[in-house]
Amino acid sequence: MFELLKQACDAARKEGCQFADARYLAIRKQRVMSRDLALSNCSDSDDRGFGVRVLYNGAWGFASSPNYNTGEVARVVALAMRIARASAMALREGGVQWAAEDALRLDFKSSCAQNPFEVALEDKADLLIAANGVMLKNKTIKRARGYLLFKQVQRWYVNTEGSELHSDVTSSESVIWAIAVGNDDFQERNWKAPSTNQGFESYKKEEFLLQAERIAAQAEEKLSARLAPEGDFDIVTDSENLSLTIHESVGHATELDRVMGYEVSMAGSSFVTREKQGKFQYGSDQVTLMADNTLENGLATQGFDDDGVPGQRWEIVKDGIFQAYSSGREFAHYVGEERSRGSCRADHWSSIPIVRIPNLFLMPGKQPLSPEELIADVKHGLYFEGMDSFSIDQRRLNFQFGGNGVWEIKNGKKAGMLKAALYQSRTPTFWNACEATCDESHWRPHGVMNCGKGDPMQIAQMTHGAAPTRFNKIRIIRGRES
Amino acid sequence: MNRQQAQDFIANVLATPHPGELQVALSGTYKLGTRFNDCAVSQNVLQQQITLTLTARREQKKASVTINTLDDKATIKRAIEQVFATCRHMPDDEEVMPAMGEVITTSEHAWNGAAEALEIETIGAWAAAACKEGAAAGIDLAGLLSLSKNFYAYGDSAGGFAFERYHRSDFHVTATGNKGSGWAENQGVNIEQDAVQTATRRAIDKCLLAQNPEVYEPRPSTVILEPQAVGDLLLMAFWYGFDQRASDEGRSAFSNFSGNLGKLSFYSDPASEIFPTISFTADGQALERTLWLDGGKLQQLPTNRYWAEKNNLNVKPSPNNIILAGEGASLDELIRGTDDGILVTRFWYIRSTDAKTLGFTGMTRDGLYRIEKGEVTRPLVDMRWNESVLRVLNNVVASGKPVATGEFMSMAMPALKVEDFHFSSLSN
Repeated sequence: MFELLKQACDAARKEGCQFADARYLAIRKQRVMSRDLALSNCSDSDDRGFGVRVLYNGAWGFASSPNYNTGEVARVVALAMRIARASAMALREGGVQWAAEDALRLDFKSSCAQNPFEVALEDKADLLIAANGVMLKNKTIKRARGYLLFKQVQRWYVNTEGSELHSDVTSSESVIWAIAVGNDDFQERNWKAPSTNQGFESYKKEEFLLQAERIAAQAEEKLSARLAPEGDFDIVTDSENLSLTIHESVGHATELDRVMGYEVSMAGSSFVTREKQGKFQYGSDQVTLMADNTLENGLATQGFDDDGVPGQRWEIVKDGIFQAYSSGREFAHYVGEERSRGSCRADHWSSIPIVRIPNLFLMPGKQPLSPEELIADVKHGLYFEGMDSFSIDQRRLNFQFGGNGVWEIKNGKKAGMLKAALYQSRTPTFWNACEATCDESHWRPHGVMNCGKGDPMQIAQMTHGAAPTRFNKIRIIRGRES
Repeated sequence: MNRQQAQDFIANVLATPHPGELQVALSGTYKLGTRFNDCAVSQNVLQQQITLTLTARREQKKASVTINTLDDKATIKRAIEQVFATCRHMPDDEEVMPAMGEVITTSEHAWNGAAEALEIETIGAWAAAACKEGAAAGIDLAGLLSLSKNFYAYGDSAGGFAFERYHRSDFHVTATGNKGSGWAENQGVNIEQDAVQTATRRAIDKCLLAQNPEVYEPRPSTVILEPQAVGDLLLMAFWYGFDQRASDEGRSAFSNFSGNLGKLSFYSDPASEIFPTISFTADGQALERTLWLDGGKLQQLPTNRYWAEKNNLNVKPSPNNIILAGEGASLDELIRGTDDGILVTRFWYIRSTDAKTLGFTGMTRDGLYRIEKGEVTRPLVDMRWNESVLRVLNNVVASGKPVATGEFMSMAMPALKVEDFHFSSLSN
């Protein structure tokens, strides 16, 4: 498979390119969807093709094709060259500054004990329909839904520096939903099975049935829950809820391409400007946020990125102080770094790589602390579980997040569920209000499968994680008028 | 592929022996895109491919397979075998419907001869010219200029066939100064250099007007929403609320809904002169002009074939575009008629806060201005808002003429003047 990719790089080199790389991807997906006691769909796809990226006179050219043969490779290289020349019509001063990287040879395979594409459809149907059946036993549940998504990406990468890389990554995702109707209202509760770079082995039927019963009962409880109080309250977030807050308020904010204005017109810029590096008080001293593209089963753990740089681990925030950005080879020089952080990925063979959020997580507390002990210190507050409404401004400052299940906390204990609760804050205000986080035994990872960025938009995956965490005096508002 | 090539290809696929009903969809795209920031080209991309989707049905079982390796008959034959093998293992679903079997005559409203002639050098040159204009004004420009040339073909073993070519263009540009930014777009099925220049100039002018924004204490206010802001808001409402079955089953803001939604009409039309689209659905159903809201009165919502048959309703497929009919006022007229209000260029990151009331939150972005005594007087710091679309539609007091907008769906939206719009917090 490498041979034609090497031919592409050789041809680009002969054209006088400073750098070129070529990627071939074979992407296999299966999506199984359930509606009540039926499967509403099963769709498989097989998507193959290659892309060639050339850096010529400081300007990028990129072209791609699904037809992988000698003649087409030559045509695509010529097209990429033609596009690079068109790009040079408006060249950045000095052109692209490309960080050096040693040639690398690597063959990475993610953990996959049970290949999901070899599991019988009947077993997948049984998992989803059995869960739906449990939910529908609750008479307030008028619609039960679920899906399974399996993806296998085989990637071959070659560049003009001599790197020859291969990865074989299988990932899995599943969500079930219970929708309750009553009291002139409808409410939804869901459960996300952990999305990981693993196979079918991560899904256990017993767990699905237990969670189905739990979310159905909670969807019913939400129908008669009272509206959230408004004002400033202490809040406790579970690991899944905080994972999305980490994603939006830290992950995107510390992408170096955003900081440098490359995403201004779509995803936006960032308040974390370069002079803040090494000194900005991002959060309290409880806050250490670790990036790790070597995290076991992490969705961004792929051996190497699409710049040909191996996965790395680094601190983005340490003891509350901002330390470092996520970057790719084009961007490292903007912060005086000689090497990329290896976090530049493309979502398809026809997409050009862009800086993406790495696996990123809040480090657990160093002292033993259980969720019960964490909540025990809250006289009147709110507990947020799961992901719901989430919105943040384009500079990643003002945000407003909900939870899929929200409880009132009274005198140190979870009381009844609340409806339409949202927490609204500014990123540094929120993270500096972080008072405590539970210990390692309560830390959980959560995968994000649909992170949109780029223009045209690309969809990437990464894993976040946290233990239950408490924040002081956060503004609570209602998403519904009383 | 042209029509004949697509028809022949589909006929060959359907001629491959298969043990049930087969639907075949061919989708082709050739997409040029130039992305720029800081007045320089940062990405220049050409994407092209054709995908084949096969959907198999045997009685009440259905499954689908998509591939993009089309030059090998053996691969296609294997895909057909795979999709019927999967279908065989599917449990029965009473909602599975047979193929349409309809031959659809199409008019290619969304195909444009001038767009067909454009290539990457032209697109790149226009983007480069825009960058130079920004550099001359001392303003950073960032944006995307893209054009796709597409076709979609559908055929089924019940005799159905449809084919249509279409174009889609997208130019959007953000102009950023030291202390404020402006934005403009041009969406449609063709792009010309004049349109690129006009949008670029508009973004720069908005940016110049946006410098040194002042704080406006967030509170309910009269707003003039420009078309992109209206489109983003209504698109979310459409996705969340516009489904007849959800409404009938109590899972929608429109369940047991008997009130009015203001005075405007909301419809879809593949032959729209403002933003035409392909005129049939992915599964071979013809699309026609459909009214969803008639002078504020809710009509039948999108209804799939199963739900229509079960409940004796008309089938109303989900559309490819949405259009809000305005009353024709110009933006200047709307501003002149406003004594105290806020002009909103665009929204950002809109998310549902309450599906029951079609409540959403979002931010303003790239140009928020105070209107006083009929004039735009000063820029404002961006704000978050929390608002129900039902309330917004009921609070419209004046509206403009629909223009093409929408990066994610083809839309035609007018500017709206809305009273009592709920801003809730400041961005910075």
